Amino acid sequence: MSTVAISEKRSALAPLGKPLAIAGGVLAVVAALLPWVTFSLNDGNWPDKSTLQFFDAPFLVTGFRWHMLLFGVFILVAALAPTPSRGRVLRALGWGTLAVSFINALYITIKGGGLGAITALDGEVAFGGVVGVVAGVLVILASYGIGIEPVADWKFKVSTPVAYLVLLVAFGGVLYAVAAMLTTGGVGASNPYAGAIFLSFLGFAGGVLAALSGVGLVRWISALSEEHRVFSVIVLAACALLLPFTDAGNEYWMTVAANIGIYAATAIGLNIVVGLAGLLDLGYVAFMGIGALVAANFSGAATAYFGFSLPFPVAAAIAAVVAGIFGAIVGSPTLRVRGDYLAIVTLAFGEIFTRSAQNDIGGFTNGSNAIPGIPALSLFGAEFNRSITIGPVKLPGGVLYYILIVLLVAATMAVFANLKFSRIGRAWIAIREDEDAARAMGIRTGKMKILAFLIGAMLAGLAGAVFAHKNGTVSYESFKFLESITLLAAVILGGMGSIPGAVLGASLLFVLPEKLRDFEEYRLMIFGLALILIMRFRPVGLIPDAHRRAEMAEKADENAEEAHVEARKA
Amino acid sequence: MSPLLEVRNLSVAYGAIEAVRDISFTVEAGQIVSLIGSNGAGKTTTLRTISGLLRPASGEILFQGKPIHAEPAHAILGMGISHSPEGRRLFPRMTVEENLQLGAYVRKDDGVQADMDRVYELFPVLGERRHNKAGLFSGGEQQMLAIGRAMMSKPRLLMLDEPSMGLSPIMTQKIFDTIKELQSLGTTILLVEQNALAALALSDHGYVIDLGRTTLDGPGHSLLADQRVRDAYLGEVH
Ligand SMILES: Nc1ncnc2c1ncn2[C@@H]1O[C@H](COP(=O)(O)OP(=O)(O)O)[C@@H](O)[C@H]1O
Ligand SMILES: [Mg+2]
Repeated sequence: MSTVAISEKRSALAPLGKPLAIAGGVLAVVAALLPWVTFSLNDGNWPDKSTLQFFDAPFLVTGFRWHMLLFGVFILVAALAPTPSRGRVLRALGWGTLAVSFINALYITIKGGGLGAITALDGEVAFGGVVGVVAGVLVILASYGIGIEPVADWKFKVSTPVAYLVLLVAFGGVLYAVAAMLTTGGVGASNPYAGAIFLSFLGFAGGVLAALSGVGLVRWISALSEEHRVFSVIVLAACALLLPFTDAGNEYWMTVAANIGIYAATAIGLNIVVGLAGLLDLGYVAFMGIGALVAANFSGAATAYFGFSLPFPVAAAIAAVVAGIFGAIVGSPTLRVRGDYLAIVTLAFGEIFTRSAQNDIGGFTNGSNAIPGIPALSLFGAEFNRSITIGPVKLPGGVLYYILIVLLVAATMAVFANLKFSRIGRAWIAIREDEDAARAMGIRTGKMKILAFLIGAMLAGLAGAVFAHKNGTVSYESFKFLESITLLAAVILGGMGSIPGAVLGASLLFVLPEKLRDFEEYRLMIFGLALILIMRFRPVGLIPDAHRRAEMAEKADENAEEAHVEARKA
Repeated sequence: MSPLLEVRNLSVAYGAIEAVRDISFTVEAGQIVSLIGSNGAGKTTTLRTISGLLRPASGEILFQGKPIHAEPAHAILGMGISHSPEGRRLFPRMTVEENLQLGAYVRKDDGVQADMDRVYELFPVLGERRHNKAGLFSGGEQQMLAIGRAMMSKPRLLMLDEPSMGLSPIMTQKIFDTIKELQSLGTTILLVEQNALAALALSDHGYVIDLGRTTLDGPGHSLLADQRVRDAYLGEVH
């Protein structure tokens, strides 16, 4: 089918595909081994022995030259071994190589004063960066020469124990990657090159992931995990609970990870509204704010509205219910307005919420003074923000919050998954696809849309209640329009309607700014650029849901399929 | 014994535009009844009103003797009136099977799988490709799916809005054969068509609708022979 589309591009480069790929792979290895900087930078050596040195001890260090070496080896394997969707895999590896080389070379150039730093200066030569960029470009060209076939579909079935093993290994890999991503480049500005190291790592991780996805492995594993859903969720939760035991197990990352978790849970709730039911909500974070305010007012904090405190589970339940009621109220215009108009209604609601919270309407919010001093949660006398010691193992501070939030995310995931595959979920998806046709099927569209708002808001309210105790302060500042947009971006970026997508999207959106602190004022610009690039090259999101994926595949297959149908008619 | 469906003096308006004016007709159980008329005559509006997607300005709709024109769409579907809308309106990104499941959305019994198998028997091409996306099928196959989906609610009355739209003559014939077959299996059918020749040839009774009114009616074969019908509608059939 797709051979037709590719044949044009193929013509010029086709015979050169394989040789180009091999050359690129060899160059990537060479680039890894070459020195990268002609002199020591002001802030000290570029990490991992790259300055003025050949890379003589690859197995002793990690860092970008090790990544380059791996890319080189992967490229050679993909070019020489019988690889499914070879062009697609090579394209991913090529872009990864290019990204790693370019980011490092660029950074060295900027910090080291010009192109001399990555070429030749004072009799020293350091062509690593240049060779790496050339290697990347060669491999990308090679991939077009070979042709970008559709992602291979792995048909073979495996027995349940084998599937479990595969899933364990896969999720273990995810845990490792997450820990590596968090810790790479160190915490905040403790390492002068933290930002660049992190970006370079992203280039590596992205290239490898895209290659695995191109070869069909990712699709196969996600099909396996959908088949063994319960097992996957348990393993995933277990992996998440193991994070405190990795390199990322310090107070700083526990706090960041807990915050990500809160937003991930909220994003999953938003994903019900936007991803499943297809209703655009631009004021969603207000529901989280409502939940947080309810919990804060029942927490016994000095400025709380109520002079008594409720046990957290009770307060959290009330927070969810109150947020849910507001959700249903905001959702009720969906009976009358559609599409853009609904988005404006939700936008207005978000604004009303922030404005009334700012002005302390009703006396629930304490205005711009916020509600500080919300006590930390505790269980059997253990405060959640302290470090705990179990036998010989000392776990970092905030670990209990982290665990609570992992459970919260797991619970929201379970709610989402059960809804998605239920009769209600089918109704939502039908409404999203064609509301009139859905009505003709007997779906009570108004009721279903309000239900989506209600459930989404309840999940946000619950997350907000945890947020209140975790942060100790609830201010309207945390629930402004920008937060709603970021959450929406998390959902769209990760893939609408997809659960792992929402978690990944939330992680990226809340980790990236943290990791890019090194770039100071450029931080948001790089962040925005990254979003644009992702949406350009992966418009369905990073981990798309099957229907969304279908939507994109449709566009590519349409012509071919029509031709096929015509041919069969004739 | 009251007819299965009786429409009495029905008028429907979109704001100030009166699309249907004082239409009356009946559908007896077991019949195929067709509403024919040119584009914009008000046929689609009539069907949408019967299935509860629109509200009448005046008039009555009785199903098995019981007024239904104030009931919500899902309740009407639950009573046994199923509507295959104009333009098919499948869920193109869903598979054949998912489309059929949605057709059975209002059902609570556990015979859905058996009925789905029956649809696959009726349309083998759907069964063979049940996990393919609906949007990738040809026009005729999509029409089969639309009919199959409408049958999934186990209707007593099946309303089909222009099933031959955009189909080749051969495919149209095939769809009309299927409609005949559904009738013989016990489903009553209310058919809306611009393709008057094919529709009347199949119908026990026909009504001609023009500018929102019923202008003529009679058994299918006698309408086919009627000179006024031949002049006005059959001339248009290519
Ligand atoms: N949604 C609508 N809003 C306003 N007018 C409409 C709408 N739908 C149909 N009409 C008008 O109502 C009349 C009848 O339309 P319709 O029932 O679709 O006719 P038919 O199905 O016989 O072609 C036409 O004049 C059409 O323009
Ligand atoms: Mg019509």
